[in-house]
Amino acid sequence: MREYDIVVIGGGLAGLMAAAAATKRGKKVTLLSLGSGTLTIGGGIVDVMGYLEGGIPAATPSAGLLQVGAGHPYKKIGRPAIEESIRFFKEICEQEGYSYIGNLDKTQWIPTAAGTLKPTCLVPRTMDTTELKKADKVTVLGFDALKDFYPSLIAKNFKKIPAFAQKEYEVVMIDPKLSEGRDVTALDVARWLDTEEGLASCIEKMRNVIDSGSVVIIPPILGTRPSYAVKEKLEKALGCHFVETASVPPSITGLRLRTMLVRYLKKNGVRIVEQAIVAKSIVEDGKCVAVITEGVDRERTYYAKSFILANGGFYGGGLLAEPGKVIEPIFNLPVEAPTDHELWANYSLFSSEAQPFAKLGLDVDEKMRPLDANGKVLLNNVFVAGRNLRGYDFSFEKSGNGVAIASGYQAAMSV
Amino acid sequence: MQKTTVVVIGGGATGVGILRDLCMRGVDAILLEQQDLAYGTSSRYHGLLHSGGRYAVKDAEAGKECIEENTILRKIGRHCVEQTEGFFARTHLDDEAFEGKWVEACAKVGIPTIPISVEEALRLEPNLSPKIKSVYRVPDAAIDGFRMVWQNVASARKYGGRVLTYTTVVGIEHSNNQVVGIKVRNTLTGEVSNIACDFIVSAAGSWAGEIAALAGINVNVQPDRGTLIAFNHRITSRIVNRLRPASDGDIFVPHGSITILGTTSASVNKPDDTVPNAKEVVELLNIGEALFEDIRSYRMLRAFAGTRPLYSADPNATGRGASRGFVTLDHAHDGLKGFVSVVGGKFTTYRLMAEKVTDLVCGYLNVKTPCRTAVENLVEDTSPALMAKARLYFPAYGAELAASRLGSEGLEKVIARIQEKPEKRQLLCECENVTMAEVEEAAADSTSYMISDVRRKTRMGMGTCQGAFCTFRSVGAVDANGLSWGKDTNVLFKEFLQGRWKGIRPILWGNVMREMELTRGIYEGTLNINGAIDNEGI
Repeated sequence: MREYDIVVIGGGLAGLMAAAAATKRGKKVTLLSLGSGTLTIGGGIVDVMGYLEGGIPAATPSAGLLQVGAGHPYKKIGRPAIEESIRFFKEICEQEGYSYIGNLDKTQWIPTAAGTLKPTCLVPRTMDTTELKKADKVTVLGFDALKDFYPSLIAKNFKKIPAFAQKEYEVVMIDPKLSEGRDVTALDVARWLDTEEGLASCIEKMRNVIDSGSVVIIPPILGTRPSYAVKEKLEKALGCHFVETASVPPSITGLRLRTMLVRYLKKNGVRIVEQAIVAKSIVEDGKCVAVITEGVDRERTYYAKSFILANGGFYGGGLLAEPGKVIEPIFNLPVEAPTDHELWANYSLFSSEAQPFAKLGLDVDEKMRPLDANGKVLLNNVFVAGRNLRGYDFSFEKSGNGVAIASGYQAAMSV
Repeated sequence: MQKTTVVVIGGGATGVGILRDLCMRGVDAILLEQQDLAYGTSSRYHGLLHSGGRYAVKDAEAGKECIEENTILRKIGRHCVEQTEGFFARTHLDDEAFEGKWVEACAKVGIPTIPISVEEALRLEPNLSPKIKSVYRVPDAAIDGFRMVWQNVASARKYGGRVLTYTTVVGIEHSNNQVVGIKVRNTLTGEVSNIACDFIVSAAGSWAGEIAALAGINVNVQPDRGTLIAFNHRITSRIVNRLRPASDGDIFVPHGSITILGTTSASVNKPDDTVPNAKEVVELLNIGEALFEDIRSYRMLRAFAGTRPLYSADPNATGRGASRGFVTLDHAHDGLKGFVSVVGGKFTTYRLMAEKVTDLVCGYLNVKTPCRTAVENLVEDTSPALMAKARLYFPAYGAELAASRLGSEGLEKVIARIQEKPEKRQLLCECENVTMAEVEEAAADSTSYMISDVRRKTRMGMGTCQGAFCTFRSVGAVDANGLSWGKDTNVLFKEFLQGRWKGIRPILWGNVMREMELTRGIYEGTLNINGAIDNEGI
């Protein structure tokens, strides 16, 4: 019987960060992953705290942290650990040659594919808006056949944003000729730019439509790898500044971040098991002894001293919703939820209030251990991180990856 | 000031049927709809083209009308009808004595019922509960309410018919007890105007009482709310009715790749009380379990509700106690000439209702042309040559779908768009196989003012993802096409996603909850559609 120090359940950002922090502490870690979490959907942008209850923008992520309610995961984790976790995340990025810009004391308003701005905290350098802010004239560049990017939508809506209204916008298109009878996504364009020939061909096409010195808004297509090589080569060849937008899935920035973190974990000796469906647990005397995965052919038992439960919320499968009831399937941990299903959701999808259902999840102590309704720790060696936590609405607040990083880190530090 | 001979109020099946009938008889007519076409009850029901079996016992007249109209609509509206046939299945919970009564009543009004063994029924429909006791085959069919309305309008337009959507009636103008015009308000611009006319026909369904009240006339229409569930599976290839006296949750209707279960029945005060709730959904699932035991394991798409326009001369009759037959009220008897209301009835008999009303109006107008709506097809069939051309551009299954949605002329236009820009063949809506070209064509129609209007015409956004991916693309496409209604794209996003949310909210569990986390992640989390565009900005 092989016993690990820590088994991390879940391969999204919370699980990856938990594994990273655990290895830094010299722990022997196995990470059980079923998929890539929401990284390749939501993206590689680290939101920390954008909006408070009532829809009021937080002055800075840091100020926002201080204003969250008592049940919020940030309150449990505490400010020092959040700051450390962000510092740790930035260190990894730096070390892996794919550094992130930003800090807790400044909200970065970044352009989205809908032509809105979105408040966030940390972004890859491909989303640096320094030059965009300064520019009088902005080019928005689209790709023929890329059905998930509409440059005219961005140009038109930016004209309505006070800070952007004075700028002049030009919309240009290039044809990557990638269609070949099937639909084209940002991933196809990014893969095209990964290749030497693709990059050269793209530079030639761009040269015809953009002037040297331009600031160019583009979809997230600057290569699939966690590196700034594509950005730098393009900018050098054309003498331009490129700014990627936050956009719809598939998320290229999220893919880069995941690739980078997985590479970091492997270098640091973390064993990663893919396609692992954790079906049940063995619990004795208030402690988890092992978790059991179900594969296509057999069950497998993973023993460890501690477990980090980072398998997501409703989307990831870490929580299951039924009428008037929420189930946590691995440990059967209690989740408080209104039995009257009508109380789960607001009538308006978008409003100045968070959605009640989005805040449903596991209650934890400051060490991220699961609690029962009376506040008693249920499992001493299980630590919860990420979207299965109670008390936050990532979409509304713009706090998703921030909670993932901070809670993953805190869980690993509490082991 | 616009002028016409007849103004028809209501863009549901009955209204568009009347418009078509009038125009085919050479009468100039304008149809007014307060929202979009088929916004009301015509799209908020299970989409069953009744054989009449449902009504045979209690209302023989309605049963007879159903089987006759069923036969006609299969022919003239064959692109809207899926000839599925139907089962009437008695479960172990249902009264055996009713079965004999039902068979007898069907025979009396001419509805063929063929008994088959339970084994045979389970072989044909393996998802049916093995506990069922007896099964009959009946000539039910599935009908697409949206498409039926659209194709009636397309036909009416060819005969000169005009349609004004988002136009609500604010007054009925009369002089010497004779209608002379109608006062309307554009609900999008707020602009009020008059249309001069000789005749007004109210086919406003659940809203008919409100329209009549504008002329000080009392019409007792009691809106009766029915909630339904759409499942993302073809649970059954045939319509399955529960063989018992009409009650809640006992009809399953397959439509393409989905199945609709309905309905509930509850009297409501307002005709637009159409927000379904979780309690109704749970009740429907509990009842539906008797016919399909695995019902809880099927993925739901959404819940929706409509109001049946129940009419009774007796102001105390409500719910399933009220008749489903229709009545034409000539308000000349109330002292106002040139005003007719048609009330009650059901989708299956819309054409017959239209014919009777049009007969009445034509009598006054001294128009002798006979009705031809029962013999002339709504749209022309797509020629094999055009289908062959369509297959060059559409996915295999998509070509068939597009042809039946668009009809011959529409398909031709969409193909022309793809020929001009080949990348427009890409699917904007993968769930329902809708190309970018088709969305752009529908968006350019003069009756499109918001993304939901495009949805009703194309079915985009009505599949599994319920707008998670296609909302962004459709807003982008509307904007890229420079359409006048696309100015405020944030409004477009919110309108469409809120519309989808209305049906998702009452079924927010299981995979629907997963999908919603994704949708909110995209539109709220990433694109910040709801966020303030901050002045301080970046």
